[in-house]
Amino acid sequence: MAQVPVQTIHRDPQLFYWILIPITVVMILTGVLRHYATVLMAAAPKKQELPAIREQRSLLRGINLRMNANAISAPSFQARKDYLVTAYEGGHFLKDPEKKGQAAPNPMTDPAAMEGMMGMMKGNMAMMVPQTLIMGWINAFFSGFVIIRLPFPLTIKFKSMLQAGVGTKDMDPQWMSSISWYVLCIFGLQSVFNYLLGSDNAASQMAQQMGQMGPGAGAQMFGPGVDPYKQFQGEAENLAVLAHQYTLEGVEDRLLKTVKV
Amino acid sequence: MASSLLHSPANLSPQVALRLSQQAPLLLRYPPSAISPYSIRSLWSAAETPELWATYENLMQSCLRTGDEQSAHLCLERLTERFGAGNERLMALRGLFQEATAEDDAALERVLGEYKKILAADSSNMPVSKRRIVLLQTLKKIPEAIAALNQLLDASPTDAESWSEMSDLYLSQGLYPQAIFALEEVLLITPNAWNMHARLGEVLYVAASSNDGSSEKHLSESMRRFCRSIELCDDYLRGFYGLKLTTDRLLSALTQNSKISKSESGLPQPDVKTVEKLNELATAKLTEIVRRSANQEPGWEGYEQPDIIAAQELLNRDTASITR
Repeated sequence: MAQVPVQTIHRDPQLFYWILIPITVVMILTGVLRHYATVLMAAAPKKQELPAIREQRSLLRGINLRMNANAISAPSFQARKDYLVTAYEGGHFLKDPEKKGQAAPNPMTDPAAMEGMMGMMKGNMAMMVPQTLIMGWINAFFSGFVIIRLPFPLTIKFKSMLQAGVGTKDMDPQWMSSISWYVLCIFGLQSVFNYLLGSDNAASQMAQQMGQMGPGAGAQMFGPGVDPYKQFQGEAENLAVLAHQYTLEGVEDRLLKTVKV
Repeated sequence: MASSLLHSPANLSPQVALRLSQQAPLLLRYPPSAISPYSIRSLWSAAETPELWATYENLMQSCLRTGDEQSAHLCLERLTERFGAGNERLMALRGLFQEATAEDDAALERVLGEYKKILAADSSNMPVSKRRIVLLQTLKKIPEAIAALNQLLDASPTDAESWSEMSDLYLSQGLYPQAIFALEEVLLITPNAWNMHARLGEVLYVAASSNDGSSEKHLSESMRRFCRSIELCDDYLRGFYGLKLTTDRLLSALTQNSKISKSESGLPQPDVKTVEKLNELATAKLTEIVRRSANQEPGWEGYEQPDIIAAQELLNRDTASITR
């Protein structure tokens, strides 16, 4: 079996100092810069007014009652249920009781929702702008260089990934071009940023992309576009049909069975 | 020990609070890097952590408790420098400092006036409204405090801390049904808190001791609450203590009139045999806990000394009545 001769390319060692290291350093510095820019641009969470707090927590109280109804006796539960169901259906806890019949407001016109979207936009801009700039910078100065040889063999499929910007057909895929090094840096510097900036940094784009895909479930419950009156009515119905069972029923027999001296 | 400075110092014993506050000069020697002017040192000093500021807050409370007002003031200043005077929690802390250093009721009234001003500007400031309620209690204006607490709970009915405070306030006024209601609300928020179950049992027991109309109903309910607290936490001294007290009372009540009445909770009265068995169980368990704790057996050291003494006293009461 004939051995495939190992390709050797004589590179100028200066490539290492003037391309590989500058790209890496610039990537790290942009990450750090982006982190601090995001921190500075982040607006403080908006304070909620008292009626809004009351609306949310009153709904939570109903949910608590439904979940933990077993902890209290049947008459106590009945009294609370009657009170909450009446209040929910009458819309007593609403932020503005006059608007209870109306449809949910359009989230686009709600200033609070707009602010949230603006925050997201800002975060996106902080990612996109430096990304574009650096890509352009690298293309302008460093395109077309083969800078390192990876120490492990790779199949031909990796060629398009590792040798972007270098149009040679027969070069071994182990050789890596400068643009590919840049792409590798984008995804590979996560742990460096964790070390430099702490684990909840805003430097890596991976975390940001994750955040866009699945926004927190908690935000949905009281988010814009949800009609609180509908929520209250739904909760009132849930409470009204709940079958109550008291935990303390038969607790003395349970205790005598389990606890041995 | 730095770790205990990370917890709220509300339940510390006086000795521990004193020990913590004596560390203040050492902890406060250097200002933290986040608020000190930029220097080359900040390059290798540790990064700012939330624990640092939690330590400051707790240290300040311990210092106020032990009368080290200078250190407390320093803590407050540094916290203000870091978070700004408009921070809600800091407003409450500053009020706390002013309350602690106030010399007479007139000064306290002035602090109360300040709270009122803050709340008029921003009614959703929870820390300050809580401080105002506590200050009203300090000034012995209990009805006003109850009214203010009611207002707070109307806006924020999922706050277990406020509900239990409410129950204490009602209890101090002898309004047992209201106190029981408030404690039930706490249980709806934290259904597995065995100390809250035991607390409700205690309040029910007190309610049963005070009025004679529905004492048996409250007593059996109280007994079941203590049973539940033991079910949730093995070898719970407070639960067994309450269980013994209630079963003693129930036994004497049940033997006196054996008519079976439906209790308030909708559950039937427990039968005498079960109550007797529970009483035996509680006595045996209390004896075991006292003995093992006195012997310092491994795994049994966690009990508080006063609790053990009280349990011993309860057991002695029992033997005294038998020998007599």
